[in-house]
Amino acid sequence: MKDNNEPIIKIENIHKRFGKVHALRGVNLQVKKGEVVVIVGPSGSGKSTLLRCINRLEEYTSGKIIVDGIPLDTAQNINLVRQEIGMVFQSFNLFAHLTVLDNLMLAQKIIRKRSPEESRKIAVDLLKKVGIPEKLNAYPAQISGGQQQRVAIARALAMNPRIMLFDEPTSALDPEMIKEVLDVMMQLAKEGMTMVVVSHEMGFARAAAHRIIFMDEGQIIEEAPPEVLFTNPKQERTKRFLSKVLNH
Amino acid sequence: MFGRLQTERPEPPETKVPELENIPEAGIGYHIDAWWWLVALVAGIIAILSITKPDPYWRIVLFVRDGIGITVLITVVSFILMLFVGMLGGLGRISKNKFIHLVTTLYVELVRGIPLLVQLIWWYFAFPVIIKQIGVWTHISFLENYEANAIVLAIFGFVFCYGAYMSEIFRAGIQSIPKGQMEAARSLGMSYFQSMRYVVLPQAIRVILPPVGNEFIALLKDSSLVSAVALADLTRRGREFMAANFDPLQVWTMIALLYLVMTLFSARIVNYIERRTKFER
Ligand SMILES: Nc1ncnc2c1ncn2[C@@H]1O[C@H](COP(=O)(O)OP(=O)(O)O)[C@@H](O)[C@H]1O
Ligand SMILES: [Mg+2]
Repeated sequence: MKDNNEPIIKIENIHKRFGKVHALRGVNLQVKKGEVVVIVGPSGSGKSTLLRCINRLEEYTSGKIIVDGIPLDTAQNINLVRQEIGMVFQSFNLFAHLTVLDNLMLAQKIIRKRSPEESRKIAVDLLKKVGIPEKLNAYPAQISGGQQQRVAIARALAMNPRIMLFDEPTSALDPEMIKEVLDVMMQLAKEGMTMVVVSHEMGFARAAAHRIIFMDEGQIIEEAPPEVLFTNPKQERTKRFLSKVLNH
Repeated sequence: MFGRLQTERPEPPETKVPELENIPEAGIGYHIDAWWWLVALVAGIIAILSITKPDPYWRIVLFVRDGIGITVLITVVSFILMLFVGMLGGLGRISKNKFIHLVTTLYVELVRGIPLLVQLIWWYFAFPVIIKQIGVWTHISFLENYEANAIVLAIFGFVFCYGAYMSEIFRAGIQSIPKGQMEAARSLGMSYFQSMRYVVLPQAIRVILPPVGNEFIALLKDSSLVSAVALADLTRRGREFMAANFDPLQVWTMIALLYLVMTLFSARIVNYIERRTKFER
């Protein structure tokens, strides 16, 4: 990890309410450039909401988020920031009416204003990188879940993001496909991509994360490097949660 | 090698768009042929009647010919315009902007509560009164001397009325596309309208196409209502022919057949487009 100490993501005292549900209750988090942060926590603890606030898919009720020096305030800034952040969803969300290749090319053409030839070359290279060079002209429904998720990662990477967000990228996958997706993520982490990952995959967290964040009831309860948090959690809630997760 | 967390059950992935599944291509051709025969049959009946008994059948056809032109013109122009109204109305109905949402919802609810015939009559007879009155107040002679143009106001009436139904079709179509599609597009930096334009609408179109096709056919039939507002469409020309010759059975049978051949033909075209978009993807 590079020691550029200015954090690329600064989250200050974020609150998010869905009507009566207080989903985030004062979350503070800073992520440094090149850092891999894995967020764990029980269902409904606000992990997805936090991720979605970072690229403003969700509007937060109060607080401040600054990404790469740009505050998420005006519509213009939000679109700017979104271009710098890649997001990978649990349900892949590939564009169902487009081929794999067109999925990777669409935003390159209309947002990055790249020529069709250039977008295509970038797309083809990225599909090689994620290990599916032969499915260029397939439609999303024609390839496996693991392949779809790798295409989704490639689609995000095609925008040259500085940050990648992953929201449970493997939890909709059949077990035999999980590894192929985690391998791609692992590779990204090694290349120094800044990543915020919500995941159940403890093996991945141990191997790739610089920091584990444990969330519960809309708050960050505890954070530490994986070897510390997994072996020696301080908070009672963290211990209880981890005992369910790690014993099997 | 990677331990899985067991406490949290993953939500199931969003359901796939059904038409993207592989459907074998065999058999389509047969269906198309079967129903085209019906179009040919009705057209054939018209032809045989006209040839074997030119008086009155061929005379009727010649007499109502320009009425067919008016009917087709009104239907096609109204239909194209109402697609735009429907798209804007549909987007308005799902808008987060409360004002836009309110206006479009009011539009849809009000228009759907008034009979189409009454709306057409209102546009033709009542609307010009308002225009003239505004002209009097503002002393704009162009408005003061406003002459009702039957075709323009008829098209206006159809677009206004059908646009409301079309809005609901577009709204439902757009909402049938999983939310994740819009979110993925937005997360790549696309604006709301870019996401709609390139991601959501192209998928929604496939859902929307069958009901929109039905609207076209319904419109073709409803266009006969303009005969009430001084427009010489197919129906009105039929009535004029009858007034002059007084053979109701032959006239109205021929008029019915002419409408039938147009609607059956349209239904085939709609069906053809549906199949094309389904397989081309
Ligand atoms: N769009 C929404 N509308 C209403 N409540 C929501 C919405 N999204 C999330 N919530 C609520 O916010 C809380 C946190 O949800 P979420 O961030 O999805 O948790 P996690 O990802 O940790 O499972 C939950 O109580 C959930 O029900
Ligand atoms: Mg979640």
